[in-house]
Amino acid sequence: MGIKFNKVDFKYQGNDNKAYLALSNITLNIKDTGEFITLIGETGSGKTTLVQHMNALLTPLSGSVDIFGVKINRENVKKKKVKLNPIRQQVGLVFQFPEYQLFEETVQKDIIFGPKNFGVDEATAIERAKEVIKVVGLDESYLQRSPFNLSGGEKKRVSIAGILAMEPDILILDEPTSGLDPLGRNALLDVFYDIHKKLNKTIIIITHDMNTVYEYAKRVLVMRDSYLVYDGDPIHLFTNKNIDNWNLDVPDLLNLIHKLEEDLGIQLPTQPRNEQELFEQLKVVLS
Amino acid sequence: MDIIQMKNVSFSYQQDQPVLDGINLNIKKGEWVTILGHNGSGKSTLSKLLIGLLKPSQGEIIIDNITLSRETVHEARKHIGIVFQNPDNQFVGVTVRDDIAFGLENLQVPRNEMVERIDKYAHKVHMAEYLNKEPHNLSGGQKQRVAIAGILAMQTDIIIFDEATSMLDPKGRRMILDYMSQLNKEGVTIITITHDMKEAVLSDRIVVLKKGKIIKVDKAKSVLKDQETLEKSNLELLLPLKVLNYLEKENIDNEKVRSYLWELSLTR
Repeated sequence: MGIKFNKVDFKYQGNDNKAYLALSNITLNIKDTGEFITLIGETGSGKTTLVQHMNALLTPLSGSVDIFGVKINRENVKKKKVKLNPIRQQVGLVFQFPEYQLFEETVQKDIIFGPKNFGVDEATAIERAKEVIKVVGLDESYLQRSPFNLSGGEKKRVSIAGILAMEPDILILDEPTSGLDPLGRNALLDVFYDIHKKLNKTIIIITHDMNTVYEYAKRVLVMRDSYLVYDGDPIHLFTNKNIDNWNLDVPDLLNLIHKLEEDLGIQLPTQPRNEQELFEQLKVVLS
Repeated sequence: MDIIQMKNVSFSYQQDQPVLDGINLNIKKGEWVTILGHNGSGKSTLSKLLIGLLKPSQGEIIIDNITLSRETVHEARKHIGIVFQNPDNQFVGVTVRDDIAFGLENLQVPRNEMVERIDKYAHKVHMAEYLNKEPHNLSGGQKQRVAIAGILAMQTDIIIFDEATSMLDPKGRRMILDYMSQLNKEGVTIITITHDMKEAVLSDRIVVLKKGKIIKVDKAKSVLKDQETLEKSNLELLLPLKVLNYLEKENIDNEKVRSYLWELSLTR
């Protein structure tokens, strides 16, 4: 099942009344379980527009998106042939700065708002709130606190818990770590990785942080001027000859590996994917 | 000469919960200082105090020999400008030109000079061709450049960059960092508020804040390798320095590699 893009185009109207292409001929398959995807590209390249098609917030101008077997295209949406509510539950989308969208008196009320909207009874929703608050790394005592007295990182976690409580199959996060300090960022990424590992859910993260891409992602999508220009693993991405045109940074780890090789002639046995692997290989090579 | 003096400055939104507590900090003219700290450490409150958006609960702030007060804040803002984190939150004008003009109108700069300055600084940040465009159609990096042009046009001696690069894509971030370096070379006093060590490495001095208190002030080079202090405030060492510490811990005594890693961490 999952999500299938079939030759999707999308345009939006600029203020000068001209139409701008936001998505051009996108064909893409995303599985409903087990994927860990990062979506990258310059500001304005179409990343957010792409994910807004994944839970039918936007409808393709031409082409179609199949979301868990429901075909979203102009005609079906216009004639109201498709029910959008189940899709919104199956594909959870966490916007950028979700913390701005907290509004209830307590964290618990905020978390159960979504599930109740999708017809879950209050007692069940509260049970779920108790589970998901732990999944995002906070304890149950947070449920009775006001969301407005929490730190930025805590607010982000609460908003993510609210989406998790709807029990989506696929979880999409638009720049979830921007503005967080390094410890907060790593802790939140570990939360996503845990959800992916333990619940076998598909996670899609929009980010500008190439270290996240290199160390966490199994699959990377690169958007450039409304086109999907890369769909593959992170190792091949950063050796791709087009990478300079895509205005991406090189991850710190790869940068250091290249420098050590170029300047000091240090060759590592394999390409490390995280700091620990780098340390261990360097130890072997230098001892 | 100290262009900024903070004398025993405290601030709290609620009584008995100080966000900043007894801050003493002097910044020299032409210096580039980084303020590092975790989320909620009081970094942004500090910048709001410096531009007079907030008033200290206690203590005194002197900007370019002007002691900040309700009466002097207008005068002081001719000397200090700020670029905020979220480029969307700092636009008021219908066009890019209006936006750059906004600060100048407040300063009552004569019309001829205003036109001249707008043109000059829009060129400087490579946004001249966008002067008649609407700001909200620009990319994040372009918006930040317009915000910078607006501050530059006011010709302040001090510019604060309050996490101004944290929401930008890599290209946008590199460009803003280049402007910071360039401006500092031209004599502008720069204060950057960040948790990005790659940004901090460019500055002269680093101030580390934790829970509203200064826990360290030193030359950037010394703070960069101070793992204990950085970890206390949720920050990470630069990767080459992490490797350096690891090699030391494992007693791998390769002087060439060690000095190379140290040099590497100091270059952008």
